[in-house]
Amino acid sequence: MITLRNLVKKFNSFTAVDNVSLTIEKGEFFGFLGPNGAGKTTTIKMMTGLFTPTSGEILINNFDIVQQPLEAKSTFGYIPDHPFLYDKLTGREFMYYMGGLFKIPKEQLKENIEKYIDLLELASWIDKKTEDYSQGMRQRVTFAAAFAHEPQTIIIDEPMVGLDPRSAKIIKETLKEKAQSGTTIFMSTHILEMAEELCDRIGIINKGKIIFLDTKENLHRHKSQYDGKLESVFLELTKE
Amino acid sequence: MPTFLHILLFKNKMFWKIPSQNTSSLIKNIGAFIVFSSFAVGAYFFSQFITSYSLEKIGIGSFLFHRFISIIFFVFFITINLGNIVVSFSTLYRSPEVHFLLSQPISYSTIFLIKFLDNFFYSSGTLFLVAFSVLLGYGTYFHLPWYFYPLIMGGVLVPFMFLAGCIAVLVLLLLMKLASKIHFKKLIVGVVALYCVQVFVYFKITSPIRLVEQVMQHYPNVDVYFGSLDAPLTKLLPNFWVSQILYFFVHNEMGVVATYVALLLGITIVVFLLVVIIGRKLFYSTWLTSLTIKALSVKNVERRNSFFSFEKKSHFSPQTEVILKKEYWQFLREPSQWIHFSVMMVLTGVFLLSVSSLNIKLDAPQVRGLIYLVIFVFNTFLLTSITLRFAFPMMSLEGSAYWTVRSAPIFPSTVYHIKKNAIMIILLLLGISIGLFSNLSYTYLPMLPIVILLTMLCIVFTIVHLNFGMGSLYSNYLEKNPIRIASSQGATLTFLLSIVYLIVVIVLYFIPIVELFTAYAKKTLLYTEYLYYAFGILLCVSLLIVFIIRNVGLQALKRDF
Repeated sequence: MITLRNLVKKFNSFTAVDNVSLTIEKGEFFGFLGPNGAGKTTTIKMMTGLFTPTSGEILINNFDIVQQPLEAKSTFGYIPDHPFLYDKLTGREFMYYMGGLFKIPKEQLKENIEKYIDLLELASWIDKKTEDYSQGMRQRVTFAAAFAHEPQTIIIDEPMVGLDPRSAKIIKETLKEKAQSGTTIFMSTHILEMAEELCDRIGIINKGKIIFLDTKENLHRHKSQYDGKLESVFLELTKE
Repeated sequence: MPTFLHILLFKNKMFWKIPSQNTSSLIKNIGAFIVFSSFAVGAYFFSQFITSYSLEKIGIGSFLFHRFISIIFFVFFITINLGNIVVSFSTLYRSPEVHFLLSQPISYSTIFLIKFLDNFFYSSGTLFLVAFSVLLGYGTYFHLPWYFYPLIMGGVLVPFMFLAGCIAVLVLLLLMKLASKIHFKKLIVGVVALYCVQVFVYFKITSPIRLVEQVMQHYPNVDVYFGSLDAPLTKLLPNFWVSQILYFFVHNEMGVVATYVALLLGITIVVFLLVVIIGRKLFYSTWLTSLTIKALSVKNVERRNSFFSFEKKSHFSPQTEVILKKEYWQFLREPSQWIHFSVMMVLTGVFLLSVSSLNIKLDAPQVRGLIYLVIFVFNTFLLTSITLRFAFPMMSLEGSAYWTVRSAPIFPSTVYHIKKNAIMIILLLLGISIGLFSNLSYTYLPMLPIVILLTMLCIVFTIVHLNFGMGSLYSNYLEKNPIRIASSQGATLTFLLSIVYLIVVIVLYFIPIVELFTAYAKKTLLYTEYLYYAFGILLCVSLLIVFIIRNVGLQALKRDF
């Protein structure tokens, strides 16, 4: 479960996120849309502890990310938009590294790592150094590392960057399964079709404010007012 | 040429562009300016004092004094040279900018020249400042005319450093050329061995201690020119030319000065032309070789069940374990780290073996005390350099992957402490070794080796904290090259602060040590308590520094990422 209350982030005089409030229920798959520079990544960075909010409150699985950072962070897995890894480690070592930071017992970690290496088809290059990986390979390892500690919540910023169609399909299927098994997913994306296909609820942010927040069913009703496409709704809502 | 100037113009614009103008960056810049200025003033007075003390108080004579300068310049030359080999490899063969420039309609020789100059000037800015301050102190003591300074800076020091940079690039080009035929690792080992032999041979043939003894036999007539004592081979080295220029300038023999300046400039120009010609011929082909080396190195990393294997269980907590293992593998798999470390360790080893068997046959107790102090200062300087090179970049080297720490259930301060403690242990061991070896010849002075050993530990403790704190404050997660991080603005500032700290150490220990040697020689009462007082004050100062810098560093880790 994720709760954002009156969240504000200012960089000097510029307000990147302006009084955002949201609640994402346990097991919900939430799509976070918005044009470039709307405040999606800033919101996610505050949710994951990379940015400190100027004001407001963020609860991840009932833990305040500012007041109880360790408790909050141990409940989610984060996949950033740019999957930077430690260049000199192999993919497998990186997964062990992340598991160690989450204090996962070695036996369980080993089992999970093997499981996600198989599931995400990483075996052929998981023991090479990550500096030799393509963007897509890095992205897949980041997913595997985030899944390996079996988090209650997954926060994803642009999941499909650099993924080939096969990898994208595998990731989508895995995310669907995770959501069905009760994992809460918060996903920011530019791919409207993917949001429409996977998400239970969609929020659109523009200039730091939430301008649309509704379920998939209600979204269909909105779409019918235009030409039946989410793209048209998105363009209309976010136009200058 | 227009392309070359066009790129240089934009590089210059980027260099002067101030990224942000918020209060903290303003405070940082003002702080940096104050420290740089204070250091420049300090270096000026220090250089003046050392010159005056050596020549007037101890009376080592102008010749010996300039031979010491020659040795310092030799070390300076080798340091610049080695540093430039490692940094040039990253700049010329690993930089994404080279990839970009090669895809543009720009000649290979232009790209080579731009990256070569970029590399040299990036890492030499502070050295120029330090060199100028020291020169000013030296010149003031000898009441030298105004034109001494521009002549020595422009006509001697800049060409001297540039020559070291040029030779570095020539060695690198040659290495990369050979790399297509000989395994790269073997070549690196060969070069490291070659440099070690070079340093060893230099100190063997110059034999500073023998030189001191030979000159001191003529005491008090030590102010004459003892050129016949110079080993013939050393006369071929640029550091010798620089010391000769300074010596003869002071003695107003401008003809000799002009000869040596012409020699230095001539050789520098010839070597630079050689760099341009060989660079034009070899740069692109060796760049392709570097790609081949990189492509061939892409292979599975063997999953050994070693102590540092991630899959192996450990007695540490999971977080400590994975952070230590990550640091270990990152260090071991980054050639610029382990090669540099190995070279420094070998040189330290050679130095320790030399000082441990040091037996100075001198009657003047003040000179013995001073030599002891010089070795002590050199030891602490060595530790400071190693700490700056390896501890300062450690937080920055988290790089763009720092998101893993910030989004994981671990405090950044925990990561900070684990990393700091790991390198602290290594450096403390190194400090103990250096302290022990360099005091082996001085066990006849009660308590001195013990107090100095404790002082070394105190210095390492403080310097590591200083480097870690400043490394966090100035962390640049975008820079991947540890050497560039260790020569960045923040690192330079840290180095200057370390030097200020070391000056405090010298000020505290100068009189107690010299007095101890004098008292021992004159067989009077040994006032060892002065040493304890010095250590006590140093401990208080060190703890204060550690307290302040630790908080600054930890606070910096909480910044938005």
